[in-house]
Amino acid sequence: MKLTWKPLAAAAVAIVVLIGIIAAVAGKSGAQPKASISAAPPSESPAVLDTWKQAGLTVSAFTPADGKTVGGQCQSGTVGGVDVELCNFADASAAKKAEDRGLSIVGETTGVSIAQGSMLLIAADRRKADPSGRTINQIAKLFRGNSRS
Amino acid sequence: MKRILLPVMIALASIGYATDAHADHKRQVRYVGIHPIPKEYGGGTCYIEVPHVHVYMVPDAKVHYRDHRGSLYFVGDPVAYGYDGPKYAYNGPHPIRVDAVVGDDDEDEEYCYITGPHYHAYAPPEVISADFQLQGGAYWWVGTPPQAYVDARPVYAKVNAYYTPMHYERPVVVVDSPPPGWIGASIEVVPPVAAVEVHTPGVIVEEAPPPPVVVNGGVGFEAHVGVALPSLDVHVGGPSAVIVGSPPPDRVIIVDKHHHDNGRHRGWYKHH
Repeated sequence: MKLTWKPLAAAAVAIVVLIGIIAAVAGKSGAQPKASISAAPPSESPAVLDTWKQAGLTVSAFTPADGKTVGGQCQSGTVGGVDVELCNFADASAAKKAEDRGLSIVGETTGVSIAQGSMLLIAADRRKADPSGRTINQIAKLFRGNSRS
Repeated sequence: MKRILLPVMIALASIGYATDAHADHKRQVRYVGIHPIPKEYGGGTCYIEVPHVHVYMVPDAKVHYRDHRGSLYFVGDPVAYGYDGPKYAYNGPHPIRVDAVVGDDDEDEEYCYITGPHYHAYAPPEVISADFQLQGGAYWWVGTPPQAYVDARPVYAKVNAYYTPMHYERPVVVVDSPPPGWIGASIEVVPPVAAVEVHTPGVIVEEAPPPPVVVNGGVGFEAHVGVALPSLDVHVGGPSAVIVGSPPPDRVIIVDKHHHDNGRHRGWYKHH
């Protein structure tokens, strides 16, 4: 039996097309590789960061953080030497409910976990940079003011 | 209810602190508003106004703190602990609208029982500002005290035993007479049922003892105010007591300086 190249090529093309179709269908149905919940930064965070900077606080680069604990999209950095995590939620209710979970991120140190709108601020003085709490207070008050606006 | 909750909170916090040292946040104690930091944790003042946590419990929380939404709220004079932020002078006991001070919507009226001049980090919020008169640079609570204030006084007025021996810059309040209806005159002055002596308005203390007393007209006397606390010896006054020209008649019980009975109050009479 003589095999010709044409049927083989057709089969190969069919396989490629089939793989493409399967991939497209899977993508629409959400079967794509699970997106990291921390991949997207909170939409409001840039304004908050600018507000802190304008107030004279030293703000580090904020990078995506694991938001599984609080259930939001988070990014973290330092503000005035204080560890800060900003998380974004679908709505204000979800952010408010996450306040207690945010305290577990604070851990065994002085800190805050407060929601404002759909955002959650978690600040923890793990480096003992703020013994009087003045920096944390400034961070929190500016966060609230900024998120309200 | 809040008076029940506070001891429970304190007990739970203490238990958690003592037994669960490895839990990630079970040692946390919740606070709201500024408050003193215990000396063993650095001392001074914590300036965080929003709800926050520390991993320490403050001493004598039952007297100095109230429960607000499950957090400890400091009701004392922060200046006594080194607070150097904005401050407002008060004279005598007064209500505190905690919700207005901390900025939430959980209506909560508590009371400060400090007798005599002291500071807080806030002026009376608008919601209760009508109950105060600003006179001599200090806020005076005027009106009729609610039953809740009266009921809790035996417990919370013990706070004065803590502030009395403290040396710090108290406000100096100079007035001709306390505002009419001042709570400090109407409610704090009670028959001498206990061996408690409070040196409050009416006394200028420049050097002690004996405190020189200067009143309008140059008549020397001391104003002694009895507080109905069975086992508390409170003496408020000291370097920056209130200077009052003339206590209002029928409001303050005056004892002639020369018949001072060292707190036994045999010579109490109303000044007419």
